[in-house]
Amino acid sequence: MTALDHSAETARRPREARRPARPGGAGRRAERRRAAVGFSMALPPVLVISLFVGLPVVLAVAFSLGVTGGLNRTAAVIGQDVHSADGLLTTAAYEQLFADPRFPRDLAATVLVTVVTTLVVLGLATGIAVLLRLRGGWAATLLSGLAVVPLFIPVVIASWAILTFYSADGFLRSLFAQVGLQAPVLGFTVTGVIIASVWVNLPFALLMAASGMQAIPDALIDAARDAGAGTLRIVTRVLVPLAGIPLVIAGTFTAIGVLGQFTVPYFTGPNAPQQLGVDISKYFQSFNQPQQAAAIAVVVFVIASGVAATYVWANFRSAKQEGRV
Amino acid sequence: MTSVRHAVPDPADRSKGTPTVATKRLSAGLVGVAALALATACGPVASGGSSADTGGSDDGAGGSRLTVFISGDTNLQDLWEQGLIPAYEEANPGVQVDVVLDLHGEHDQQTVAKLVTSTEAGDDPGFDLVDAGFVVASAAEAGVLLEVGPDVVSGLADVHDTILTAGKGVGIPYRASSVLLAYDSTVVAEPPQTLDDLLTWIEENPGQFAYNSPATGGSGGAFVTTVLDSYLSPEDQEALRTRYAEDVQEGWQPGFERLAELGPSMYQGGVYPNGNSQVLELLGSGSIAMAPVWSDQFITAVENGLISEDVHYTQITDPSFTGNASYLGIPRTSDNTEGAIDLANFVLSPEGQTIIAEQIAGYPVIPLEMLPEGIAETFADADPTALRPSYFSENTDDMNNMWDQLVP
Repeated sequence: MTALDHSAETARRPREARRPARPGGAGRRAERRRAAVGFSMALPPVLVISLFVGLPVVLAVAFSLGVTGGLNRTAAVIGQDVHSADGLLTTAAYEQLFADPRFPRDLAATVLVTVVTTLVVLGLATGIAVLLRLRGGWAATLLSGLAVVPLFIPVVIASWAILTFYSADGFLRSLFAQVGLQAPVLGFTVTGVIIASVWVNLPFALLMAASGMQAIPDALIDAARDAGAGTLRIVTRVLVPLAGIPLVIAGTFTAIGVLGQFTVPYFTGPNAPQQLGVDISKYFQSFNQPQQAAAIAVVVFVIASGVAATYVWANFRSAKQEGRV
Repeated sequence: MTSVRHAVPDPADRSKGTPTVATKRLSAGLVGVAALALATACGPVASGGSSADTGGSDDGAGGSRLTVFISGDTNLQDLWEQGLIPAYEEANPGVQVDVVLDLHGEHDQQTVAKLVTSTEAGDDPGFDLVDAGFVVASAAEAGVLLEVGPDVVSGLADVHDTILTAGKGVGIPYRASSVLLAYDSTVVAEPPQTLDDLLTWIEENPGQFAYNSPATGGSGGAFVTTVLDSYLSPEDQEALRTRYAEDVQEGWQPGFERLAELGPSMYQGGVYPNGNSQVLELLGSGSIAMAPVWSDQFITAVENGLISEDVHYTQITDPSFTGNASYLGIPRTSDNTEGAIDLANFVLSPEGQTIIAEQIAGYPVIPLEMLPEGIAETFADADPTALRPSYFSENTDDMNNMWDQLVP
């Protein structure tokens, strides 16, 4: 969104300069100078991004494809099982990954956790937001307040707390044991990872959903009600569609976040199947296979770009609705 | 696009535009400053963590000055800054010892490079005594350290030959730690004595044993190494310890199969915690009754009360768990080698060894008879001379990888 604002802003500046419309070279020179100033001001962030983010990304992608010379040389010399391209590129590192039963298994687990977490987060966020919009009252306020709490608790602490809560000797099982029941052990399981991921990602989604729904005018809801729509119909036909764009944005952010997360699965997850975020770190540090780590990162990146495309589409639509494009 | 829309002046645009242009300029300027700061921050940083002047040893006012370089965690910094150095300075008035810390050894490569260049140029490297893992590794191979033996550092006369030899002639062993078998004495009356006994015990008591995944900590790594070694000939084990022996790695197969077989008998039917400390937590909470643990971490945890006094430890045999000594090194071209030798001798003295034992529960490297009674008792079951070294680092990486593939 900011990117759009920004380009609109810089584009507008020369227009204002032209307004006095002095004929001759002086005006054009001033305009050019303004353009140069504008460009030089935009330059530092562009340079920083391309130097510290762009270049390493390009290098890592090239490294995963067997470009082991140049700036990748050190990593290639230190790393084990590095495949160098004979010709231009090689997919040997990817082939090695997919031939190993571990990787498809971990990939499937990561996608599963991502999909389930995103759906649950969106469901909870929408539910609370609807309650807040239609009913209000202390229950909705309490729920929305509670749901934002995770925002203020560091992920490491939260993961650890969740692990101890659901572990074999944790609170949940102790509570059930009081009444003679056996609660399942959720520590070190994929279910545990999903629970923790939902906890971490709920606040942002709720803030997006709640603000989206609060922006819907009362008149629309009242009109629907007057026409005989029940609460369910109001939610599915009025509230959710009108808050659709914030919900899509919340969903994409949640999905991308969960896809690449490290801390939550590292603490609460099982050793196998493990999430790709943890795998990248294991391959890089513990197995000393930087090329395979880069290849996993590229796979995660490709999936994330698919999700990001949805985000761009949602942004574009909201810009269109507001008449910005 | 904009020039087309320009024809109609848009009041909404103006009201929004003017203040933002100013803000944008300001933020662009800020980003520029931030970029500069980032660029400087990302440059090569000196590995110094202390404000001490590392310029060398300018002898002022008759006293001499020493700099100790530490590559490690904050517990080592505390050991030196609050334990060894104050005691040494008190015993040697006029001597000032500074510490340069490279936290977690993040700049080890640069430090060794610096050491090599200053040795080649014959210059003082900026520190006189090094406490780092690279002392017996890359620095020993590069030949930048002073050769030491009992004739140079007299304190080494008391140190056992086995760990002295592992120092490759340049490392001064000054503390050791090994992996031990910790067990809850309220649950386990008679702990297993050999590896075979241990594996049988694990299968007979499912869910009572845990070791961390070898990639996340040395205690689990020692358990895995020990099981793998039990299927290898002594020659093959030696090869895996001394070189990158990919050919010998095939011999790991039966060991990994055995470990995978043990999986269902592990804590929660196959959970391998992340890191040494998570295993200690499980042991402390009573979730498990037995686990491999690092000696120093375990003893500290018992002292802290994290683990109950009922949890005891023992060492198994045939084969034993792995362990290792930590070494000090003296740069060949240091300006104050005599001072460094004197400090090393102090560290090896009963007084220095007592400080190490008390502060970080490090194994003494000198005979226990030379130490105060309490310390000798604590370490009675720990035998630093029987330390079985772990694998060569590349083999360890492959072992971690194969474990991850085959066991959980």
